[in-house]
This record gives sequence, C-alpha cells and structure tokens, in this order.
Amino acid sequence: MKFKSQRVAYWFFATCMLLLTLQIVYGIIMGFARIGMDGLHPVIPFNVARAVHTNLLVMWLLAGFMGAAYYIVPDECDRELEWPKLAYVQLIALVVTGVTAIIGFHFNWWEGRKFLEIPRPLDFLVVVDVLLFITNIGITIWKSKRITTTVSVLFFGLLMAALLYLPGMIPFDNQTVDSFFRWWVVHLWVEGVWELIMGGILAFLLIQITGVDREVVEKWLYVIVGFTFLSGILGTGHHYYYIGTPRYWLWIGGLFGALEPLAFLGMAIYGIAMYRRGGRNHPNQMALLWTLTTCILSFVGAGFLGAAHTLPQVNMYTHGTLVTGMHGHLAFWGAYACLVLAIITYAMPQVTGRKRNEDASASYAFWASNIGMLAMTVAFGIAGVAQVYLERRAGMEFLDVQRELEVHFIGLLLAAMVFGSGIAAFIYNFIRYGLPVAEPTGPADPTRRSSDEADGVVVPEPAAGG
Amino acid sequence: MLSKSAARLFFLVGTFATTVAFVALTVDTLRQVPEQTNEAQLSPAVIRGKELWESNNCMGCHTLFGEGAYYAPDLTQVYERRGPAFIRQMLTDPEGLYPGQRRMVTYAFTQEEQDDMIAFLEWCSHVDLNGFPPPPTVGVATAPAGAGAVAVPQVYQQICSACHAVGGVGGQVGPALDGVASRRDADYLRRWLEDPLAINPKSRMPKMPLTPEQLEEVLAYLSTLKAGEPAP
Repeated sequence: MKFKSQRVAYWFFATCMLLLTLQIVYGIIMGFARIGMDGLHPVIPFNVARAVHTNLLVMWLLAGFMGAAYYIVPDECDRELEWPKLAYVQLIALVVTGVTAIIGFHFNWWEGRKFLEIPRPLDFLVVVDVLLFITNIGITIWKSKRITTTVSVLFFGLLMAALLYLPGMIPFDNQTVDSFFRWWVVHLWVEGVWELIMGGILAFLLIQITGVDREVVEKWLYVIVGFTFLSGILGTGHHYYYIGTPRYWLWIGGLFGALEPLAFLGMAIYGIAMYRRGGRNHPNQMALLWTLTTCILSFVGAGFLGAAHTLPQVNMYTHGTLVTGMHGHLAFWGAYACLVLAIITYAMPQVTGRKRNEDASASYAFWASNIGMLAMTVAFGIAGVAQVYLERRAGMEFLDVQRELEVHFIGLLLAAMVFGSGIAAFIYNFIRYGLPVAEPTGPADPTRRSSDEADGVVVPEPAAGG
Repeated sequence: MLSKSAARLFFLVGTFATTVAFVALTVDTLRQVPEQTNEAQLSPAVIRGKELWESNNCMGCHTLFGEGAYYAPDLTQVYERRGPAFIRQMLTDPEGLYPGQRRMVTYAFTQEEQDDMIAFLEWCSHVDLNGFPPPPTVGVATAPAGAGAVAVPQVYQQICSACHAVGGVGGQVGPALDGVASRRDADYLRRWLEDPLAINPKSRMPKMPLTPEQLEEVLAYLSTLKAGEPAP
C-alpha cells in the first residue's frame, strides 16, 4: 500500500464478504425449495430468495469493483484519493440502499424485472451513489500526472456501467420493448463494460504480480477489450431471438454471440502468457492463483458454456431452462467473483500489513470454492439437459419434469456445501487479517521492475495524523 | 509486431463500428416491434396486467417469453393451453389447484385484477416469438387421444389434463384416468365432478370451475375411457 487512502478499499471488501455470505444463504434456501423442502415459503417464497440471491451478487461485485478501483487508482495515478471520506459516505449509502431493497423484496416491493428487481425509487439512489463514486475516482485520475492505460480502461468501464444503468430505468408498456432494453443493462454490463473493468483489474494484477513490462500487458489489454466490444455489443442479439423482435437477430446474435468466447479465450491466453513471461516469484502466490483462475474459468464459464447454447437452433430448446443456470453460475463465478477475490487476496496483505495469504485456510478456500462451484455447474448442467429433453423435446408437464430433476438438486446442494465451506474459509482468513494499518506500508513490491519506476513512481512521505 | 497504438486503434474502431450498427438495428427493431407484438391490442387492461406482473415479481419463479427463474411454468402460452377459467382458479387458490405440489404465493387479487392479468397473458400469447416455444419432437403425443367417436373436449385439455393423464399424456398430480369409466358409473362421475368433497371429504381435488355444458362434455369423454381399451 503506497497511499493512506487506499485503506478505504478494505471496507468495500469487508462489505463484499458480508453480502456474499447472505447470497449463499439465499441460494441454499432455493436449493432446498427445489427438492420440495420449502418450509420457508410463507416468509421467503422462491421469487424473493431468487431476487435476493441475484441482487446481492450484483451488489457485492459492484462493491468489489469499487473497492478495487479505490485501491488501484491511487496506486496507478500515484496520488492520494481526492476525497477518502466521500468514499466512506458512498459505501454506507450503497449498503443502506441495497439493504432497503432486499428488505423491501420480503414485503413484495418490486420493480419486478429479471435482474432489475430493485424498486424504481431506489434506482435513483443507486445512480446518485455511483455518480459520487465515479466523481471521486474521476477527479483523482484527472488531477494525476500519470494516466495509465490500465486506469483509463478501468475508469471507462466503470463510467459506462453507470451510464448503461439508465436504459433499465425507463418504463415501457410493451413487454417486448421492456425486455429489449432490460438486456441493454444486463447484457451490456456483463458481456460488455464489466469486461473492461475486469480487463483493467486483471492488467493491474498481472503487472504487479508477474512483473511483465507494462507496455506489453497494456497493448494486449487493448486487443482483448477490442474483441470484447466487437463481439459483445452485437452479441446482445442472442437475447433477442425469441422475445418478439425481428428475425434478423437470430443470425446477428448467433454470429456475434459465437464470437464472444474469443474475448474470454484471449483473456485466458493473456493471463497464462504473462505469467510464463514474467517468471518472477511474487510473494503473494495465492493472488497469482486467483488471477490465473479468473482468466481460465471466465473462458470456461462465460465463454465456452455461453457459446454452448448461444446458437439460435440450440437456444430454441435451452432458452428458459436450467441450462441458463449452469452457464450463469460458472460465468459469474469465473469472470467476476474470482476477479474480486483475486484483488482482495492481492490487496489484503498490503492493506493490513499481515501475510495470511500463506495460511492453510487461504489454500483451502481456493480449492474448496472452485471445486464446489465446478461441481455445482455440472449438477445444473445435467438437470438442464434433462429438462430440455423431458420438457421441450418429449412434452412432459413442467411440474412432472421438476420432480424428475430433484435428485440433481441434491447433488447441487452437496456441491454447494463444499463451495460454501471454501467461502467460509476465505472469510475466516479475511477476518484474521485484522483491520487496515494506519500508515502506508510502502510500494506494493520493492522488486518492481525499472520500467515502472521510470514512469515516475515515488514513495510519498508518510502523512501525519490518522 | 502489433504496436500499442495499433491495438488502441483496433479497440476504438471496432467499438465504434459495432455500436453504430447496434444503434441502427435498435431503431429498426423498434420500428418493427409494434406489428410483431400486436401493439394495437395493448389495452389499458393489458398494461395494468403487466404492472401487476411486475409489482409481484412473477418472473421470480415463472418465465415469460422464456425469461424468468425456471421454478414455475413458462406462461407465454398459458392463455391458449389452460384458458382463462384455469388462470382465474390458479390466481384465487393455487395450492387448492395443485395440492401437495410446489407452492405459489396466494395473491389477494380482486376480480378486476385477475381480469387484467388474464388480459396481459392473452396479449403475450399472441406475440410472434419466431417459433418459441418449440413443439415437442420426440415421439410423444402432445394431447390425449380421443377414444372412439368422442373427441377430447377443449375444456378437458385445458383444465383436467393439467393434473390427470390418459394414455401417459397429461399431468401426474392426480391419478391417471385410463379405464375410469369401467371403475365408476356415470352417476358417480357426475356427482364427483359437481363436488368432489361431497363424496370424499379427504379428496385433494378442488371443485373445478366447469359450466353445465362443459361438465356434460367432460362426462361424455370420460365415459369412453374403458379398461382394456387403450386410447388409440
């Protein structure tokens, strides 16, 4: 940690841990409901559990991205955050808004559109909150003498994510138009601008951990985000096959959707290539492991499993089945959850001055959560394919098919226990790190390459007071 | 070898070009959607129904146009498949209609709100979805076959088959009805359909919303389901 204000990241990461825990609890409630154990139905019906599960995911990932930005921007821009106190205000506001929404769900208060369930009045609070965040890091970058590609890509991604929230707030009377613009938010976030945020954070981690020359890392960063947008923007069309929009989306969405894995494949090759090229032993091997896992599992989950049902001929049968759940779980885990856990694993020793990344609990957290999530993906996949054949191909009644699928959800719950134990170990480790230190601990890594030093990285004098 | 500025150019040009194409296609889509979705039929009742659909987060369990949560059936075609009487009964007492099954919240909708929801689902069933949902393809009949001279009445397909199967086609919530005419006489079946609980207070089958004509149609069909004569 070079700058005192980077400490604010800790509180964002702590929020991530709390929200992730709740997300898993609601996921397990849904898993049990699916095997017929729905005793909580009068209090937490499935639609509440489902909305809490997905909205908490979005919230903790956004909190993670914000924490990552607050950590990375001062480091890259070589100056303190403009208004560290505003960051705390903004975090509290985010949590209050989110918790209000989650409690509101339990009282049947909704906007009620898939993934955009947060009631409209609260949408405005989200926008104000994100604007505060964008302004804070924007001014910090603006006033800096050094604007790197990494930080530009990160900032552009965060800014676009904020702007793309707006089309989702417009009400429409026509369900088709409503759905059309809903995907502007959902798809263009996760298969568009969030990948910029991901690219920015990954570039930072790879530069720091592998020690590969910044010019090389950032050049390939452009190529990857270039592929992301080239495929991802028109790839939105793979959500427009069967919702009442013109037929040409079948081939546009099919073609560009099929290209989407290229960006993720690029990301995987990029991470591995930089790691091999770096050949340096960074003390935080755990952060390296999470970073490479992000690169690889984002390709498997978001790229490969997405491509598996992106073609319109296949999607005709898999659309609206558990096959989507299979893809969704590994995509979000691989691309975004692992990414946030990677930056947390990287930042924690620096923010707290303790080296718990070598602890056995950190290792267990990594293996159990990844193996658990892969097993969950397999369970969803089998259930999804079985559903496609029984319901869509053979025409069995929906509920009869669901009874046939219960056994796969027992498997899913077992896998979720392994996954949950991994996350519990991660959180245990996070808590044991303790609170952030009051003063900067110096540059992230004293063995940093000279090319970076030449960019003008200076260790500041420790500021007085707390 | 690729330079950083060339890489940046690739990113900027590619992003700009696809964004322009996407915006142009969006404009064209918005031009075509009114016809494809019968926007002229978008009555105030349909719009109120959509608001109900959203303000109760129905998509948190059901899917519509294949979008939702996969916990409860897709409702795109429910108006055609089950009809308004079934939907009304389901909205009034879901657990009564599917006893012991996966549960749905009982919403305290007024008669008018139920009408609005039905209007919304009817509008949805007429949207041209480019062939979705696909008809089943693997050698299973999609509707119970008629036995002998009596065709399967529409009300049987919409309401009864949700829970009962004939010849393996239909739901498995209640018992299969193959051979029911051999087990029960016509008078019993009539009394049963008029009020199942009057005959068996422990029955989990609710009194179904059938008009007298529909009752006769269903009875005529059931009387053809004799043992040893599988539906052709």
